Amino acid sequence: MLKWLLRGLRHGVVTTGYPARTEPAPPGFRGRISVLDGAAAPESFADLCPTGAIQVKDGLVSLDRGRCILCGACVANAPDRFAFEATYETAVRRRSALVVGDEAAAALEEALPTLGDRSRTLRRSVHIRHVDGGSDGAEEWEIQALTNPYYDMQRLGLFFTPAPRHADVLLVTGGVTHSMREPLLRTYEVMPEPKAVVAVGTDACSGGFSATMGEVAGGVDQVLPVDVYVPGSPPAPIAILHGLLLAAGVVTREAAA
Amino acid sequence: MSAEELAREDPLLRALQGTGAVEEEPLRDPVRRLHVPLAELATATQSLIEAGGHFSGIFRSEADDSLRALLALRGELVVLRATLDSARSYPALSRVTPAALLPERELYDVSGVVPLDHPQLEPVLRPNADELQRVVTGPETFVIPYGPIRSGVFEAIQFPIDTGGEDILAFTVRPYFKRRNLEARFPGLDFDQGAYLAERVAGTESVAEALAFAQAVERVAGIEAPRLAQRWRVVHAELERIANHLDVGIKLAEDAALSVGVARFGVLKEQVMRLRARLCGNRFGRGVVVPGGIREKPLLQPAEVIEAIDAFEEDFRGDRSLLLATTSLTDRLIGSGRLDAETVIRYGGVGPIARACSLGIDARLERPYGAYGRLGFRIARATDGDAMARFEVRLDEIDQSLHLIRQALERMNVETAALRNAVSEASGEGCGWAEAPNGEVIYWLVLAGGLVEEAHIVSPSLRDWPLLSESYRGDVLTDVSFIEHSFGLTPAGADR
Repeated sequence: MLKWLLRGLRHGVVTTGYPARTEPAPPGFRGRISVLDGAAAPESFADLCPTGAIQVKDGLVSLDRGRCILCGACVANAPDRFAFEATYETAVRRRSALVVGDEAAAALEEALPTLGDRSRTLRRSVHIRHVDGGSDGAEEWEIQALTNPYYDMQRLGLFFTPAPRHADVLLVTGGVTHSMREPLLRTYEVMPEPKAVVAVGTDACSGGFSATMGEVAGGVDQVLPVDVYVPGSPPAPIAILHGLLLAAGVVTREAAA
Repeated sequence: MSAEELAREDPLLRALQGTGAVEEEPLRDPVRRLHVPLAELATATQSLIEAGGHFSGIFRSEADDSLRALLALRGELVVLRATLDSARSYPALSRVTPAALLPERELYDVSGVVPLDHPQLEPVLRPNADELQRVVTGPETFVIPYGPIRSGVFEAIQFPIDTGGEDILAFTVRPYFKRRNLEARFPGLDFDQGAYLAERVAGTESVAEALAFAQAVERVAGIEAPRLAQRWRVVHAELERIANHLDVGIKLAEDAALSVGVARFGVLKEQVMRLRARLCGNRFGRGVVVPGGIREKPLLQPAEVIEAIDAFEEDFRGDRSLLLATTSLTDRLIGSGRLDAETVIRYGGVGPIARACSLGIDARLERPYGAYGRLGFRIARATDGDAMARFEVRLDEIDQSLHLIRQALERMNVETAALRNAVSEASGEGCGWAEAPNGEVIYWLVLAGGLVEEAHIVSPSLRDWPLLSESYRGDVLTDVSFIEHSFGLTPAGADR
């Protein structure tokens, strides 16, 4: 055991200072896509996107990050109107805030109150139950990574719990398949109030590629009220951490358009 | 030579004599296609298995309303084609090989074609978590419905376990809880979009999935990726393999409550994920492999990648020897979940699970693709077939992967060469394959006019799941997580 201890000390502290300090993404990181100002867009821009995230109306472009799988087909074909941003903080509290572009989304719906708003005692110790509603498996890796020494989410009072009855946050991946719908609902129902649901990944936000296949509900919010959306295919660990802290009310800074 | 003489010379045709099999135009070496009468499909499959063939999968092609059975035989991939008739049924291959059990249930669910005499022809694709079937009945036995939501951050799958309290009497694997019907999403996509979808079929093996898809397209089009792109593909595919094997290390250390081991392997895996992000902008290598080559110039120079893997290797070697000397872990792995080579062959098993039973099954060497034919490496193998052997194979493969990456990057001239060849609007059917971290993944495609018309995926997870049931011999409940994690399979791959 002593050998392991010495081994563990090898790199010193590698843990990120997030959220006290911002964690920069490496150059060229494909964190999210933004719509750039520019000339009127042709209708054909909508065809660039394999998951229907791009819409064009009267020459104005909008991009739904909740549908975007970050493949970059639009960036490659129309680099003057679409660009990747090397950022980690992508989580938002309203579904409509994921739609960006020439026209600011009108009439934002009300975000659900955070756990911090609903209970003053919760925000220092938040217990999380994860449920896979039909992901591609990558989201699970990135969620699990939050416990590695680089992210060490325990330092922020965030813990995974196997028992839904002890959980404050339900972390859901995938677009919710037929077979997972009932187990997911049951998990949610036995969680005590107050509780929050975080949809992790583009599939969880909209169903992604599988949205039109009839096997998935087309996003967690088709089944449960969602408090925080973390788009990305898959979102990086910091993005998921951002979403968790937003749901808890520890950070209030949502991803900017 | 006469047809008969030819048949004697050719092991494949010799094996299939008397089944009415007729060789059709081959789909480029090493894929061979034979038409077989529907009634003889099972017999032909049996003949090939007896000749040393390894069953891969069966599906129905809409394009010509016929069944395709895929088998690997001595460096060739054999496609048996049997045209369906109005009876919509055929003698089940499951009577010949248990490897066909799940694929044929899937086939029946998707297309309604009946495999006659299938031992367990029940709907499989939309499992209900509450409907459990007991395998063992008797006093004082019960079934634990382990899953689909389990303790920890895991993908959804259910393992009903029949037990008397401690001993595992039967271990059942119920996949498909997360089936998204993605094969049916391919038609109409262009080739690049098809690669993006392939990456999202099984996210932890994104590169291998995209590679198998891209190589299928390239084989139909009759082109190859530029040499330079082939070498970068090797770098990405091997980084993916390393990350997957490290993930198994994390999970096993966690099962043994070895916190520092979890942290150390977590650090190693994160280093690899970050290297991948610096190299291409995505932590899973997504968007790199496209039909015809790779998307764009990598963000790092070869020397920078070599420097990163040198640093990684030094850390890895220390952690590995410490982990292998920690008896609280190794004692749980040695002898647990033992499989023998004969069982693995019978079920058509692939990947580290097969190699831990001393089988030399690895698509990179059996049917070399891309740069692998020009690079030197050996198949990592172990003999014991238990959880320890599987883990040793994975650790050994990390070494081999590092070796491959170095070779691929050596003396690489990054400035001059092209990274992508144009893919013509080729039409036709074709196969592509890649050795994913957990075994070979095969894409069978029909292309027309620059679009995908049909896609079928042979997933390593689906091929290896039945072996998980087979591996519980005399094990107890506390061994479950060790054995499952030593398999390292991703449910998303099977639940495509």
